[in-house]
Amino acid sequence: MSYDKDLNFIFRFKTKIVFGPDTAKDVGMEVDSLGCSKALIVTDSFISSKTDLVERVKTALGNRCVGVFDGCEPDSGVHIVDKGTEMGRKVKADCLVSVGGGSSIDTSKGMAICLKKGGNLRDYTGINFLDAPITPHIVIPTTGGTGSEVTYAAVIKDHEAGRKLLIADNFLIPDIAILDPLMTVGMPPMVTAGTGMDAVTHAVEAIHSLQRDPIADALALHAIRLAKRYLPDAVKNGNDITARGQMLIAANMAGSAFSNAQVGVVHALAHSVGARHGVPHGVANSILLPHCIRFNLSECPDRYAMVAEALGVEDIKGKSDEKAGAGAADAAMALAKSVGLPLRLRDVKVPESGLETLANDALSDGSIVYNPRNAMDHALLLGILRQAW
Amino acid sequence: MEFPFPSEEWLKEYHSQINSSEAYKKAAATWEAGAVVLVISKEPRIGLNEDFAIWLDLLKGVCRESKKVTLEEAQKAPFVITGDYARWKQVVKKVLDPVKGMMQGKLKLKGDLPTIVRFVKASQELVECSTRVPTKFLDE
Repeated sequence: MSYDKDLNFIFRFKTKIVFGPDTAKDVGMEVDSLGCSKALIVTDSFISSKTDLVERVKTALGNRCVGVFDGCEPDSGVHIVDKGTEMGRKVKADCLVSVGGGSSIDTSKGMAICLKKGGNLRDYTGINFLDAPITPHIVIPTTGGTGSEVTYAAVIKDHEAGRKLLIADNFLIPDIAILDPLMTVGMPPMVTAGTGMDAVTHAVEAIHSLQRDPIADALALHAIRLAKRYLPDAVKNGNDITARGQMLIAANMAGSAFSNAQVGVVHALAHSVGARHGVPHGVANSILLPHCIRFNLSECPDRYAMVAEALGVEDIKGKSDEKAGAGAADAAMALAKSVGLPLRLRDVKVPESGLETLANDALSDGSIVYNPRNAMDHALLLGILRQAW
Repeated sequence: MEFPFPSEEWLKEYHSQINSSEAYKKAAATWEAGAVVLVISKEPRIGLNEDFAIWLDLLKGVCRESKKVTLEEAQKAPFVITGDYARWKQVVKKVLDPVKGMMQGKLKLKGDLPTIVRFVKASQELVECSTRVPTKFLDE
């Protein structure tokens, strides 16, 4: 492991983390701590109608809860943010409590902008263009993968224009994240596995990113260790509170790591695979990760040697970084296999004929500029996709 | 002769460098996303008493027009990149890659990042062009 002499970086870390079983009960106190009194819960209809998670949060909020917006959908859209914002204005919400996965959290981030600043989300597309804090936001994740509770970006689809809006800003980072493992026990095994591998991918990408830094490395490496140790248990027994909790922490640490160090070619490709073929983000990441590690290996073998060690690869002492690093790809694939995830793109119904388009889409993904090996080339991307297919 | 950065003389020379660059012409051959505005935030300490906004009307590898505009006019462009003087100096000196600078929060972007990323090579060539302008930095 080594760092450049001229290393310079900015590390953002704003979110207050509240961890522990049943800490969702503390959400009322956390609303008070922000100086707020009118909380709007933001979630999706499945969580609100098929689980008791929203009821638990409502009860904990007491009379601070002014409503529940349960219109979030996967691939959240500008029109959903508009609807949520309208409701927020109607009930005079002064803070948002998102209960859910990445989509609900990103929807809330968009609503937090519009509630405070007015106008439409399209007006805020870009990076660091907000000039003041937005509506306070508390996140209670119900999955252990996205890390969105600590990230500075939101991706919202503009269905009308047929494109995704990327909004990234320090003010988007949520104020508080309540990591309550009891809020994730109902997550089905395959969702647990997919979101868990999403966290692993975030961590590995932070480590190999061109914008890596020692703080992000520390967070990412421990996130990998936790996932290696606890993901199989969380998948095997959804009621294992210890494993659930440790996976929430792993996702959170990986989220902080990649929000600062950024991600690379795995995400560039996974975003395309998800958008074109509806493959869950974590599953797409999991399939692509080993192949992207092999693609990058020659550029940063020392980084992958660290990943291999964190993934528990044995007998790496005395080996060259190249040999040790190669073990990271195999270990990542073995972890995915151990939790029952598909290992190839063909297994998730991506047609071979679609690979050209996927490679093309990935060329305009922001993540690609941070990849350690220059991947801004259609043929190279196609090569990775063919390996993964 | 050195041109003070930023200034209208510097911009005129920069315009000329962009249109002399075969590499930029090639990298931006399919750019049809519109004008790009670069805003250098004011810094009275070094004599830059107001924000300096550079409007570059770019189309298919050619800079059709370049001009100094007001901040109000700047907002009409589909892409507005804003930064402190020190950050722009880092860009012109090739210490800071503009696309990475945006992602790191060192430069602000109003507009669609994926479009910019797709033309990352063109953005690097625009930086190359700026390095060819004999530049006098206000703080040196």
